[in-house]
Amino acid sequence: MHFAMPPRKTSQPPPYARASRSSPIRRKQLQFVALIGCTLLLLVYFAIRLFGSSAEKAPPGTPEVVVVTLLDEATMSDEYRARIMENRKYYADKNGYATFFPDVADYDYGNSPRSWAMVPALRHAMTKYPHSTYFFNLSPHSLIMNPKISLTSHVMDKKRLESIMLRDKPVVPPDSVIRTFTHLKGDKVDLVLTQDAEGLCQGSFVLRRGEWAKFFLDTWFDPLYRSYNFQKAEAHALEHVVQWHPTILTKLALVPQTLINSYGVDIASRGGKEVLYKEGEFVVRLVGCELDATRYCEKEFDMYYQQWKSYLNKGTI
Amino acid sequence: MSLSRSPSPRRGGGWSSPGLTSPYDNVSGNASPRKTYGDTQTNGSSSGDNVTWAKAKARSEEVKGYPSFSTRNNGFFSRHARKISTSLPTFRMTGRRDFSDKERLGRGRWAQMGGSRTGRFLTYLGRTAWRLRLRLGIFLAFVLAIILFYVTPMHRAYRRASFLGGGSKFVVILAANQGGGVMEWKGAREWAIERDSVRNKKKYTKKWGYDLEIVDMSTKKRYAHEWRESWEKVDTIRNCMRKYPKAEWFWWLDLNTFIMEPSYPLQKHIFNDLLGNTYRDINVYNPLNISHPFQSPHLDLPARSANGDGHANSIDLIIPQDCGGFNLGSFFIHRSVWTDRLLDIWWDPVGYEQKHMEWEHKEQDAMEHLYINQPWIRPHTAFIPQRKINSFPMGACGENGEDSRIHYSERDRDFVVNMAGCEWGRDCWGEMYNYRELSNKLNRTPWEKFKDGISDRVKTLRGKKEEGTEG
Repeated sequence: MHFAMPPRKTSQPPPYARASRSSPIRRKQLQFVALIGCTLLLLVYFAIRLFGSSAEKAPPGTPEVVVVTLLDEATMSDEYRARIMENRKYYADKNGYATFFPDVADYDYGNSPRSWAMVPALRHAMTKYPHSTYFFNLSPHSLIMNPKISLTSHVMDKKRLESIMLRDKPVVPPDSVIRTFTHLKGDKVDLVLTQDAEGLCQGSFVLRRGEWAKFFLDTWFDPLYRSYNFQKAEAHALEHVVQWHPTILTKLALVPQTLINSYGVDIASRGGKEVLYKEGEFVVRLVGCELDATRYCEKEFDMYYQQWKSYLNKGTI
Repeated sequence: MSLSRSPSPRRGGGWSSPGLTSPYDNVSGNASPRKTYGDTQTNGSSSGDNVTWAKAKARSEEVKGYPSFSTRNNGFFSRHARKISTSLPTFRMTGRRDFSDKERLGRGRWAQMGGSRTGRFLTYLGRTAWRLRLRLGIFLAFVLAIILFYVTPMHRAYRRASFLGGGSKFVVILAANQGGGVMEWKGAREWAIERDSVRNKKKYTKKWGYDLEIVDMSTKKRYAHEWRESWEKVDTIRNCMRKYPKAEWFWWLDLNTFIMEPSYPLQKHIFNDLLGNTYRDINVYNPLNISHPFQSPHLDLPARSANGDGHANSIDLIIPQDCGGFNLGSFFIHRSVWTDRLLDIWWDPVGYEQKHMEWEHKEQDAMEHLYINQPWIRPHTAFIPQRKINSFPMGACGENGEDSRIHYSERDRDFVVNMAGCEWGRDCWGEMYNYRELSNKLNRTPWEKFKDGISDRVKTLRGKKEEGTEG
């Protein structure tokens, strides 16, 4: 007999054929096992991500910002210091930040001017709060007038910082050949400074914790700078460091002065009326009061202190 | 049966078309009763009447093989073939022979080398080799591959590849022409020193697949501030980091150095066990009496600990110390963010202005200053025992070369000699020459040692004889 096609293979397995291993039950079992295996792997992965990097991660309750103000028991009255601390603490409590009030006498700055103690004080703050992100250095002769402003959203947030930073601006006014970078990402900035008409202001700035910050502070505090008799001590050393060392300049952003550094007095050479404190601004600083024999820091401070108190009582702020 | 073409006879008989009955079965002239190979295989039992395909094929093969038709019995060879072939040795082809004759000693055979013992041994060797031919072949191929690996530049490519030998991760920076140019003329000796030193490093880096960068350190008016001259080291290192973007470690070497043991790769000598070979606690050897670690409580933990964070990957600078403090004649620097910062602040005009009279060794003193005063430097700076990479000859740091921490020891086969300070009152070229010859002597191949041993013996013998005759 002839067929056009060979006969089809019968669906019945011959009795000697090996049993098929992929029976429906078997397949179900395998699926189940695979599911369990995948879940376990995922769990392990998440466990590693959660607990593996715990050394890097800040423990809960870490303040994001530390407000550092260097006090000087030798030259400031107790009442003055108490008022300064009250002002900072109020701000920190309101925003969940921490405060740190070191004293000049805690640090060894050799024969240099007392103001140099600010630099190791910042280093100390970073040692004391090893997980906080930002360190807000604020000179004692200043007040945080608007406690509602959060430092992160006001200045340090990446987008915000990129929108406010001054690009291609001479680092030291008016005509330094060294200019700030034109293309700088907000999250690469480690130091946020302001400048007034005279130069960089070290009285109010923000520093981000990290290896760079240690390098920056240690370099700034180098004994050769301290012994060099810069006219304005650490302020000029800062200007020197920023202009001569590109690894420092790359991490620096300048922001408009009144954001974190409004002045409480009208000094023509330092910007005059333009940078004078206006209501609602963040900080007022009594710039230069400790150096000028004709001015009294505590008296000027008292004026703004009363103003601040009245804001608080009125509840406008 | 139809044929595609007419059958035709072929030279020497037979038909080109199979399947035809042929009356001339045995017409080929090969009338020998001896069956041919094909016959015995396929047609042995069938009668000879029918011309089958196989038979015809076998026959035509025979025809092709031996021109039996026209030249039969004509040429010398065919006339004497039988005579010749009987004198040839025969080989037993099992199953293919259709006759056998009695074994007669020595007839038609090569004498088996059974007679002598060596002969038997050789046969045994040959047989064994034949039996193990596969394994032996593999072994020989292996040996050949190894030889080829070392004869061709293949081994260099292997040592260089970053994922195999890792040689491309290292760059040797050799400072040539130091202080040359404006300051002094180069004489024959200076040229000789430079030539030897460069050749030595070239050989070493080529052997291990490292990169060699020879930099010209001659004094030039390159900077607006002319006092910056001696800090060219910093710029040079930075340029090298840019030039070799894949390299990780940069080894600075002064010109007056000599690599005594080119067979030491850097990886094995230092970097495979970086923590074991270096120390971060300067109190281990502290000629400058630097107080370490920092005590001030305002510093962070790594800056206050004697050993930094204790991890090998945080070491970015490896410096040897001699009797006078840091020695930057031979040191390692690692590409890192930390290094960028160090190279940036190493030279600073304010520091320079105050210290340039004091800092006799310029960048070396500046480095010491940074190490002493800036806490961020210490956790990333490690020290290495001087004799690991920077042995001194006699005359540097002590006249007699007695300090086991500093001076070169032939017995310990120190890696590098640095003839530091030979420009001041010592003979640079003499030292370089001596160390070159010593290095050559220490690193002779066994064959050279053997030859030298013989010539030495001959010399001593001759010397004795001469003494004897004189006496």
